[in-house]
Amino acid sequence: MAISLAESLHLGILDILTRKVRSAVTVIGIVLGVMCIMVVLAIVNGMNKTTMEWMSQRGGLSKVEVRPNWGYDFSKGGDPSLSLREIRLIRELVPQATAFNPQVSLPEAEMQVGDSGYVCPVFGVYPDMLKVEEWKIAKGRFINEFDISNHNNVVVLGSTVAKELFSSRDPLGRYVSWGGHRFMVIGVLGERYMKNQGGGETFGENGLEYLNRRAFLPLSTVISKINPKLRISSLELQAASPEKAKEMRKQVEEIILNLKQGKALFRVDSAQEQMDMMRKNSMIFTSIFILIAVISLLVGGIVIMNIMLASVKERTREIGVRIAVGARRRDIVIQFLVQTVLITALGGVVGILLGYAILDLVGGYLKLEVVASVRMIWTALLVSIGVGLLFGIMPAVRAGRLDPIEALREE
Amino acid sequence: MAEIIATKNLIKDYNLGKVKVRALNGVDLTIEAGEFVAIMGPSGSGKSTLMHIIGCLDSPTSGEYHLDGVLVSQMAKDDLASIRNSKIGFVFQSFNLLPHLNILKNVELPLMYAGESLRERSRKAREILASVGLSDRLRHKPSELSGGQRQRVAIARAIVNNPAILLADEPTGNLDSQAGGDILEIFTRLHSQGNTVIIVTHDKAVAQRAGRIIRIMDGRIEDGHLTG
Ligand SMILES: Nc1ncnc2c1ncn2[C@@H]1O[C@H](COP(=O)(O)OP(=O)(O)OP(=O)(O)O)[C@@H](O)[C@H]1O
Ligand SMILES: [Mg+2]
Repeated sequence: MAISLAESLHLGILDILTRKVRSAVTVIGIVLGVMCIMVVLAIVNGMNKTTMEWMSQRGGLSKVEVRPNWGYDFSKGGDPSLSLREIRLIRELVPQATAFNPQVSLPEAEMQVGDSGYVCPVFGVYPDMLKVEEWKIAKGRFINEFDISNHNNVVVLGSTVAKELFSSRDPLGRYVSWGGHRFMVIGVLGERYMKNQGGGETFGENGLEYLNRRAFLPLSTVISKINPKLRISSLELQAASPEKAKEMRKQVEEIILNLKQGKALFRVDSAQEQMDMMRKNSMIFTSIFILIAVISLLVGGIVIMNIMLASVKERTREIGVRIAVGARRRDIVIQFLVQTVLITALGGVVGILLGYAILDLVGGYLKLEVVASVRMIWTALLVSIGVGLLFGIMPAVRAGRLDPIEALREE
Repeated sequence: MAEIIATKNLIKDYNLGKVKVRALNGVDLTIEAGEFVAIMGPSGSGKSTLMHIIGCLDSPTSGEYHLDGVLVSQMAKDDLASIRNSKIGFVFQSFNLLPHLNILKNVELPLMYAGESLRERSRKAREILASVGLSDRLRHKPSELSGGQRQRVAIARAIVNNPAILLADEPTGNLDSQAGGDILEIFTRLHSQGNTVIIVTHDKAVAQRAGRIIRIMDGRIEDGHLTG
């Protein structure tokens, strides 16, 4: 003789319709909490995706990078650079590196072809750069071992450099002059592209455009012909796997520390570990916002509990009448519980919709990648139902415990 | 005729902290199926308390109560709910209709808890409301009705599930004599159709219609004698 769930839902909807304003007020906390969860999860999802993309665009997770440690106090002496001899030593000590690219960066100067010129950063590199940074060749070839051993005057251009200097003409086999030297163009690199995040306008919408504005020479040519004083300040290595990269990072760090008498002139990073760091940071970010969401849900839940308690008090007579005509304790409990859950679930739906609206705004305005998933919607919905159950049970049980005679005596 | 109500030494105490109020002090009462009984007595004598126990809204502190041959005085609350729903129709002095529901929905209420289908509920409720002359007010809220009309809705609700007994605690107490007379007509008719009717009243005119008057004094039945 119990009333069915469909009946309870029906009752719940009627109750809510009878008390629209109260129901709306009741649920504000839930709406905000759910909205918060939606927005945070979508932003974190987007951030993780962006980070992954960024990492893989820059050469994947098996990369180990050596750079000057700008946190080091150079007034204590020491120069953050490596000689060719030191580079060769490192290469011998880490034979397991699948790719090895020391590089020097040259001061910016204009690169010229006939009348047109273009100022771009130029780097002296090894053939392995292609592999470590996962470049593609668009035209011609990259610097090879032969160019290195012969100190050839050849240059490989980034896609934008090639376009600026040669527009539609084929640059292969043509010469560019740079710093009083002439170099033959042997190749053009493929364009690197990643949608810009956070609205940095400097390079338009391509977050990797700065890479397309580079030109590359053989490292040996740079040191022997252009400036013998230039020393190597950056080294990239690749390991067989991200895990191996972590070990390699430690090993390389030790080698360089030994070479530099224990001075931490260089930073050695593995992409995997950087990634782990970023994940951890985004976890902290997520946790903080989830905490905010949980607090607003809890506050919302407590508000709901109080309003439902007040509602039970106000409806005491009604409850008495229902019990008097045959409602069992269970029927009353279910009636109020279903009503609370309905309100919170509706609040959840509103929160999800508002969350979407905000994501739309934020995503468009900040040019932030946001990734909303179906799983998030389910999570938000379940959370709001959960809050309804959790905070609805006490008022509902209290309603079910009412004594009919006392309830009917209530004014 | 079969005994529909049989109580033995019913005692009801109310504990008010240190003080104990004995509202019923050993009530022995039998009522047969199809009787029309009026319960009278001074204010505070225990009439409502007795009605609540007979109506399974409350349980006695001690004593036995058989309803339709079933011992209900020791029953669990949820079992009492089912008895109230199927065997008892209760009419209150203050109507006790749900203000948010129209009168059709109010009358359907016991049928909902009886698990009847929506269609059956509506059919039975309309039929009963027609029998108390309210067919043209189905969608009205109780607040849109007169006191007499409200009490007719309450009677419709009490009898819609075809109960074994119909209890009314001062049903005409809040009504003028005209409306009260109409209500009394309905009870008389229900009795003549074979229903067991028990009415608490202060009104001699009401009591005169009953087949028997039970007088209560200080929680005890004074004497039970047939009138007319
Ligand atoms: N919930 C309660 N708590 C304490 N005492 C109560 C309670 N209900 C009733 N009483 C007491 O029990 C006694 C009988 O009350 P009851 O309501 O049954 O009287 P009644 O005969 O219906 O009176 P009236 O004609 O005024 O309605 C009274 O003394 C009353 O004060
Ligand atoms: Mg009374």
